[in-house]
Amino acid sequence: MSDPAGSTGAQLILDILADEGVDIVFGYPGGAVMPLYDKLYGHSIRHILTRHEQAASFAAGGYARSTGRVGVCFATSGPGATNLITGLLDAQMDSVPLIAITGQVRTPLMGTDAFQEADVTSIAGPATKRAICVRDVAALEQTLRAAFRLARGPRPGAVLVDVPQDVLKAVCPPFDPARSPRTTAAASTRADAEALDATIELILRAQRPIAIVGGGARIAGATHLFREFCAMLEIPHTATINGLGCAAPGDPRFLGMVGMHGWKAANLAVNESDLVLALGMRFDDRVTGKPDRFARGATIVHADVDASEFGKVIAPAVALRGDLRYTLAQLVQRLAELPSRPSFAAWADHAKSLGPPPPPDRTPDDTLSATEVLDRFFAHVSDDAIVSTDVGQHQMWAAQRHRATHPRNFLTSAGLGAMGFGLPAAIGAQFAFPNRPVTAIVGDGGFQMSFAELATIARYELPVKILLIDNRRLGMVRQWQELFYERRYSATDLSDNPDFVAIARAYGIHGESIEDAGSLESALQRLLAEDGSALLHCACYPDENVWPLIPAGTSVAEMLEERPIDDAVVPA
Amino acid sequence: MTLALILHDWRMLERIVGLTHRLGCSYKSVEVHARDDHLYHATIEFAGPPEQLRRLDTQLNRLLEDDKEMAR
Repeated sequence: MSDPAGSTGAQLILDILADEGVDIVFGYPGGAVMPLYDKLYGHSIRHILTRHEQAASFAAGGYARSTGRVGVCFATSGPGATNLITGLLDAQMDSVPLIAITGQVRTPLMGTDAFQEADVTSIAGPATKRAICVRDVAALEQTLRAAFRLARGPRPGAVLVDVPQDVLKAVCPPFDPARSPRTTAAASTRADAEALDATIELILRAQRPIAIVGGGARIAGATHLFREFCAMLEIPHTATINGLGCAAPGDPRFLGMVGMHGWKAANLAVNESDLVLALGMRFDDRVTGKPDRFARGATIVHADVDASEFGKVIAPAVALRGDLRYTLAQLVQRLAELPSRPSFAAWADHAKSLGPPPPPDRTPDDTLSATEVLDRFFAHVSDDAIVSTDVGQHQMWAAQRHRATHPRNFLTSAGLGAMGFGLPAAIGAQFAFPNRPVTAIVGDGGFQMSFAELATIARYELPVKILLIDNRRLGMVRQWQELFYERRYSATDLSDNPDFVAIARAYGIHGESIEDAGSLESALQRLLAEDGSALLHCACYPDENVWPLIPAGTSVAEMLEERPIDDAVVPA
Repeated sequence: MTLALILHDWRMLERIVGLTHRLGCSYKSVEVHARDDHLYHATIEFAGPPEQLRRLDTQLNRLLEDDKEMAR
């Protein structure tokens, strides 16, 4: 609580955070930010000490992704602040509400190359919605309120507030919630009636429409409306990686993930469609491939809250700018009012028949296949489970296979593709939902970028489960070297990996290793039955590839579904 | 393409410069005047391929919407 006689910048920050509903922050202290940490001592806001600032930003991101609330992280000036940048950009790319508060050297020292000085607002600028240095304690309250407003949306993102040490220490009037009330996200625009009517007209005229849902549905809280919309039309639908979990569980018209490693049926159906309803997605290059060959026969309707997305990659015939929840509610209402609604069930059946689920790669019989591990794992995953992934092959295999029941149950660094994300993101989600099962699926490459966070898991006794897919390779890069760089395996060999089980045990975490399929089922059961954290190390076949694959910058016509037959035996 | 922009924070110029460069565009002229401590009028003549200028225009709008929101 603040002293009614007066406060300080540091105290004011905590008072405003608490007023904005923040009850947990992830961070790492250091010199310039010490006044803030001093006020944190004994404060009701819980601080989680990670072992690296990057992990703090990823954990805050995992918390925000799984809850929809603003994630907050702290770091000191200089290296502390720069270590946050990857997590900030990750949040910005995937529209995750995140606020970083960094200490800065004292204002008289700024610009003098002082110890641990970095011009972090310039560095963080392009990685955030805004990065602001508050040089005067009088501006602190307004800046923090604005930071929350901006982070929350309408399109959420990352904001960095940099506060010099003397501003943290500066005396200021005590916090008064009446002076600057708690913020809410800025009001969203609403799609105009003409565009909504035009969309209905296009749906009525379409023979082969398809809906593609992205992360915007999660952000808007529109998952249920998306499901209702699809059900009303019996329309085939697919999802970007950030839209996974939006489709109704068990809906047979869901075609799986679209894009580079998407389901064959999803990609072919988009290609055959005559109307694409792009809902809260941004036509990422991993989705479109070569844009001028994406859904060439289709009219594009694009719904997004951010006008800058219209035509950034694909020019839509109709742009539905505004809150997706409103847009979908209006479309559902308009469809309900039609005297007769079209059904696209037959087209959906055809779309579904266009390809099988992603095939496993051919692997020798006596080896452990990563896809088999994941297939078996997902068979055990409960509806309320939260799964995070790291980045690489295991991420794509997981995205292909997991049928998350809600988009906030699947956490992945989609836009940025930041290795090292999986474990700290799971930590953030576990703090948000202490009683729900949380599993981090990680590869051996990414895990080694963040496994110091095993210490965080151990300290706070988090029951996070870790499924480690270890192929002793940087697998995705290796796959591309095999397919596109004439098997010149440059810097992708991790065959000298450490003993991961021993590492887990060193942190007091239960660890087990398997290397054959016969042990898999029982090992998975033991992993998931552990009361506390546990790691299952799966020593997988090193040369297993992700299929299908649409090579970068090409189209669905160039989709690869397996190795060329003469390459069936691939040297390690 | 010439745009008359209102900036609430003159440091937005840094972001505009970075974004312009990133989209493969450049400047013919930049003129900025402080209207008061919290408002700046910038007139910037951009050069570049038309499609990239169109993208720049929409991205600048988003940037300036955030700038306006931050100042609200």
